Amino acid sequence: MKLHLGGSLSWYDQQKRSNLLIPLEGPIALNTLLRQLSIPKGEIAIISINGSLFDGDDIFINDADIIKLYPPIGGG
Amino acid sequence: MGYGSTGKLLYINLTDGSIRTETMPDETYRLYPGGKALAAYLLLKNIAPGVQPLSPENVLVLANGLLTGAPLSTATRFTAAARSPLTGAYGESEAGGFWGPELKMAGFEAIVISGRSKTPVYISIHNDAVEIREAQHLWGQDPIYVQETIRQELGDKLYRVLLIGLGGENLVRYAAISHEMRHFNGRTGMGAVMGSKNLKAVAVRGNERYLSQAFEPRKLAELGKTLAGQVKNHPQSWDMQVKGTPALTSGMNAAGILPTRNFRQGFFEGAANVSWDAYEKDLLKGRGSCHACAVRCKREVEINARWSVSNAYGGPEYEAIAGFSSDCGVDDLSAMAKANELCNKYILDTISTSSSIAFAMECFERGLIGLKETDGIELRFGNADAMLEMIELIANRRGFGNLLAEGTRQLSQVIGQGSGQFAMQVKGEELAMHDPRGKVGVGLGYAVCETGADHLVSYHDTMIANPDSVPFKGALPLGITEAMPARELSCRKASAYALLENWSSLGKVIGLCYFGPAPRSFIQVEQVQSAVQSATGWDISIADLLQIGERATNLARIFNVREGFSREDDTLPERLFMPLENGALNGIGISKTDFDLALTDLYRVKGWDPISAMPTRQRLADLSIEWAADLLPGKIPDSIP
Repeated sequence: MKLHLGGSLSWYDQQKRSNLLIPLEGPIALNTLLRQLSIPKGEIAIISINGSLFDGDDIFINDADIIKLYPPIGGG
Repeated sequence: MGYGSTGKLLYINLTDGSIRTETMPDETYRLYPGGKALAAYLLLKNIAPGVQPLSPENVLVLANGLLTGAPLSTATRFTAAARSPLTGAYGESEAGGFWGPELKMAGFEAIVISGRSKTPVYISIHNDAVEIREAQHLWGQDPIYVQETIRQELGDKLYRVLLIGLGGENLVRYAAISHEMRHFNGRTGMGAVMGSKNLKAVAVRGNERYLSQAFEPRKLAELGKTLAGQVKNHPQSWDMQVKGTPALTSGMNAAGILPTRNFRQGFFEGAANVSWDAYEKDLLKGRGSCHACAVRCKREVEINARWSVSNAYGGPEYEAIAGFSSDCGVDDLSAMAKANELCNKYILDTISTSSSIAFAMECFERGLIGLKETDGIELRFGNADAMLEMIELIANRRGFGNLLAEGTRQLSQVIGQGSGQFAMQVKGEELAMHDPRGKVGVGLGYAVCETGADHLVSYHDTMIANPDSVPFKGALPLGITEAMPARELSCRKASAYALLENWSSLGKVIGLCYFGPAPRSFIQVEQVQSAVQSATGWDISIADLLQIGERATNLARIFNVREGFSREDDTLPERLFMPLENGALNGIGISKTDFDLALTDLYRVKGWDPISAMPTRQRLADLSIEWAADLLPGKIPDSIP
């Protein structure tokens, strides 16, 4: 599974990565994945799954999925 | 004079060459302690009603923030203000970098420049020594040459040189001011005001340290160390340091609010080519900073692709990225970077330049203008060559560029044929690259902001949309009590907007960058309060700080009322009330009815008359600026009906 951590979300990754490749042996709840990666749900404003926006976190994702997460986007 | 300021104001009249210094009374300092507040106050006191923006009678104020030059990360900003040649309204633009801190070290809080020199000149300031010097040999020259020549002439390579480029010389109505080739007072055409005065540059050198003026210098220095240590330990400031504003592009695209093809769309199919990943891989060469700032959000760049770009003029920020890629339909990283380089070289506002071109592209594609008008250039979305050629024409005011240099509002009036409804401007100032159809409080800001469609007038809805987020928690001390969706238009949104507007305005008064304080970034509200207390010795509350910000906004509003602006001018381009044509918010527009209701709520929250959009005498008295009502005898309502 490909995971993109946009903007400040990379800060929560121990290696401060923007793009992660995470092999999945089977479906996993996005909620569980975020917990494993120590990314607080409160910091995620936008969830894109395979190019479509998803509202919520109770969805199972698979190894072939491309997940993009973004924080609240302010000005600048 | 109290702590934190010398109180010294420098007055320079370029018509007669007179130079004098005044020290402002302590009461003036308390009410208008710097930046936007001091600039708005000085403009109202020094500009007569109806003065034409490019006439000698207009006044340019360069004012430092209260904390500008303090050893605190992000305390670098200074304000350039005048009646705007782009809007005819109150014009203002802030820049960081090094010039403001240097002016502070020279001992001045602000410079008030009036008149017009018969021939090009520049001003040199070395502590108390101020001189007007001949600059005919610098007119029309490259900014790098100008800076180096002035430093040579003054015999000191440490002079900070604030200057205009070809844009300002040619009175492009959105010409900017820059220093060090990468710090810009970008918006509202302050560069054209300098150009109209035949003023090429203001070079400054000072030797006084900020801390020598502070009430508690040791405490202020300790706070500076604490803040520097916080940068890497806070997600938002870490993000600004490592990625910076270029990281906004992909998120905006995913959210469906990346302005695309003159705001018709919110999703750009070519956004990956100008995303942070592409920027980091092919463009980024390093990171730069402003005075004493540990955030280091400036991008240093270089690329050798279809277009080659050196690092001479710094790297593109998000506004230039979106403006010269998605908004013009161009998906080439090097073309976007080249456009940014040209704007920085000619010292043009990247937002207004790109937006004017995008508007013209739509007019061309709709057949409202043709090759005859565009000097034979196929001005279509996606045509990078045409986009770059237009920047050259604008800066030189040649051919079709001469009309584009007047700004989108004027351009749409000349083209006519209904083009006004997709001229993306408010009060004449082009919209920043944030589509309010996805964050409607930004739309309230575009509408009411005294300078036009500015995206930094308040904090964006997304900062207070989730009660569990770091930004929301950062806003709590301001009195934000509940989270609300980014697209909610309501009375409570208007209240939250007003609170955040006052906080943003305070930042411009005290000289903190937008990327410093919460909720946008890492400096907590109480730390801002502590900094002001340590600098001045004032026993000042957060409510007092918010009132300083509110007072500055009210002065700017009074300036506009005096020039005939009213509620009719507080509106949005018609396009924003229409649905987006693709992306995550496909089909979504702003409800005009809801927007008008929220605007009325906002005026009431501000203590302004909702019919005329004027501050009431009562509100001005509450803010200790009742004198401003007396500038408009018989016009200002006593209270809200």
